Amino acid sequence: MNTDTIYPKVREIIADVLAFDEEEIQRDGSLVEDYSAESIDFLDLIYQLEREFKIKIPRGMIEQEARRGVANEDFEEHGRLTDKGLEHLKEYLSEVPEDRFTSGMQVSLIPTLFTPETFCKIVVREMEQGEQAASD
Amino acid sequence: MFHFVDQILELESGRHALGIKRVTAGDTFVRPNADGEPVLLSCIIGEALGQLGAWSVMAAKDFSVRPVAGVVGEVVITGEVGVGDRILLDTTIDSMTDDAVCYHAVASVDGAAVLRLENALGPLLPMEQFNDPNEVRERLAKIHDAGDSAGEYQTGEGTAAQFDLSFDEVLSFESCKEATAVRTLSGSEAFLRDHFPRKPVLPLSLLLESLLRLGQKLLEDGGARCVPTGARKVKMSRFVEPGSPLVANIRVTERSPEKALLKFRCEVDGERVCVGQAEYSTVIGENR
Repeated sequence: MNTDTIYPKVREIIADVLAFDEEEIQRDGSLVEDYSAESIDFLDLIYQLEREFKIKIPRGMIEQEARRGVANEDFEEHGRLTDKGLEHLKEYLSEVPEDRFTSGMQVSLIPTLFTPETFCKIVVREMEQGEQAASD
Repeated sequence: MFHFVDQILELESGRHALGIKRVTAGDTFVRPNADGEPVLLSCIIGEALGQLGAWSVMAAKDFSVRPVAGVVGEVVITGEVGVGDRILLDTTIDSMTDDAVCYHAVASVDGAAVLRLENALGPLLPMEQFNDPNEVRERLAKIHDAGDSAGEYQTGEGTAAQFDLSFDEVLSFESCKEATAVRTLSGSEAFLRDHFPRKPVLPLSLLLESLLRLGQKLLEDGGARCVPTGARKVKMSRFVEPGSPLVANIRVTERSPEKALLKFRCEVDGERVCVGQAEYSTVIGENR
């Protein structure tokens, strides 16, 4: 199981949720900046991915996992990412082009970085965890 | 009143609910159909199903949150409901998290389905922003297991002027192709008292009913007679408050002799408020 396998279906769902043609969806496009995704779209997208792939995507998991291993005060200061937080986020969201990360970016703007590939990675991870749990 | 569940027969908090809506001649949202017969607006039947689901969710969350309109995957209209009919409302919660509820529902009269909702998704927001939680709790106690006395809790009635479902002004109208119209709530609309007491906003159900009617005018301008059969992928992304001019655009995207598909998009100040698709079947074909 890898992101290439599921990308066609994820792209189809993203195109449907955001009312674009599938051909217009770029794997590294920003869902917010390039396809005008809003919070209700992310909610819709998560539910559709859960339904299609029979998984559960914990809410806020991207930010939570990006913070893993970093103390809160090392990750952000007054709602903005610290340099260490930024490096950690870049590492976690490795699929996002480097130039979209900005120094001192607001934590609340992290969703603007999400791409179709971000959601492919989440789906794969949750599917693998589901399989692991089933075999334990 | 903008409450449409007269009585709750069964309530499994967070899972399932069964309720009743009785349709009376005094109901604010009973309007003449194409044949002049008084019927309850279809979108109000959908609203009743959503409200029943909301009761189940609010009870499960101890009235700390309330669901609001978000996404409706599909609305399927299969029948009309006249004065004197008793609608059985049946709403099933498919999943519920801290931030949203997903449900499906069906309304029926005498065993025949009149309207279905599929893949409905409602964000859960803090109850305090919309209602007094104690009032909501008390209302649920009144309608739950109301038994034979349920008649006194009939809903949807009011003495205020009927809400006009047409837009204030049609900005452009290209017969059988596309229309754009605008409407601004004045703030004095009766339904705003209940939807919601602490945050008056336009209900998705009334917006959708207005859009279905605008689409119907667009299609019927060519001489055909069409009836709405449902809506798909309806998504509400912002609240529409009184004083905010809502601009609605609706256009025909597919049309055959039997049916039509229209897409709509509503904006306030250039920001997306609601998008979706409306479906119609043709009763009598075009004469031109």
